[in-house]
Amino acid sequence: MAPDQAGRPPGRGGQRPASEGWTYFSYLVGGMLLYGGIGWLIGRWTGLPVLFPVGMLTGLALAIAMIIFRVTRS
Amino acid sequence: MTDARAVLASSCNPLTSHLFSGCRYPAPSIDDFYFKPILTVGGIGITKPMVLAVVAGATVLAFFAVAFRRPKLVPRGAQNLAEVGVLFVRDSILRPQLGKAGDKYLPFLVSIFFFVWLMNLFGIIPLLEFPATSRIAYPAGLALVVWITYLTVGIRAKGPITYFRNIAVPSGAPWWILPLLSPIELVSNIFVRPFTLTIRLMANMLAGHLLLLVFGLASWYLFSASIGLLFSVTSFLVTIILTGLEVLIQLLQAFIFTTLTAYYLADASAAH
Repeated sequence: MAPDQAGRPPGRGGQRPASEGWTYFSYLVGGMLLYGGIGWLIGRWTGLPVLFPVGMLTGLALAIAMIIFRVTRS
Repeated sequence: MTDARAVLASSCNPLTSHLFSGCRYPAPSIDDFYFKPILTVGGIGITKPMVLAVVAGATVLAFFAVAFRRPKLVPRGAQNLAEVGVLFVRDSILRPQLGKAGDKYLPFLVSIFFFVWLMNLFGIIPLLEFPATSRIAYPAGLALVVWITYLTVGIRAKGPITYFRNIAVPSGAPWWILPLLSPIELVSNIFVRPFTLTIRLMANMLAGHLLLLVFGLASWYLFSASIGLLFSVTSFLVTIILTGLEVLIQLLQAFIFTTLTAYYLADASAAH
């Protein structure tokens, strides 16, 4: 574990808590919700409904990127 | 023939329907989660889940009040039991997330844990037999309390600007991608958290109660002087096994709800 974990409370040690998993889950849900929503709105505006799934996939990709950043660099 | 069937079907109800009687299986549905008001007070209908929630709250309150009324150094009886409960919440939920500094949140977490657990437990207690948490308003109300609490703790611990930067900037991400990732972090911290907290508890309790209803009703429906008796016994055994499973899930869901609350509090108050 990287030294910047020092700010975390004692007793946690080098272990990632199980609730870390729920954070990843909420990133995935949040990413799809947000970019899917934006895609859906733009899709309605421009008359291109395909932008809704495109937005969802973009959100999913970004959420996965966030999880990778979080795991590898913190 | 069809007329006779229709007449027969119109007299069908879950209490009298049996196999080969011409009545269909009275499948449980979402309607089983809606109750007629028991009584109406000032235009507000009091329903069974409301009563159960109040009973759960009052029971938790009364139990801990009685248990710690005259605390003794060597605990006996109710105090012993209450101490086991409090220590379980402290050592398995609070300490791993918040450390020793988080002991000030112990009353909050103990209340949430036992309140949720008892409301879940009502799903398998005979005569009550309904988990109040399977109605979305109860988990949603609790999630709202948790949501307000962790936002307040975060703002008080770090000040509004630092706290906002904390919940908007994902850790470990390079700066050039932040405009794309910050909204996700913000949405997941502010909207997804209370939402998933609510849905997880509600959906688990709803599904569990529905499952028990399916097999409970089936063992009654199949109960007849025919081959159905065999199926009925099987269905009844499955009901018992599923009840055991429900006991586990009810405890687990209360545990997860409280663990995540502790985690959100830790996340809000920890220095980054």
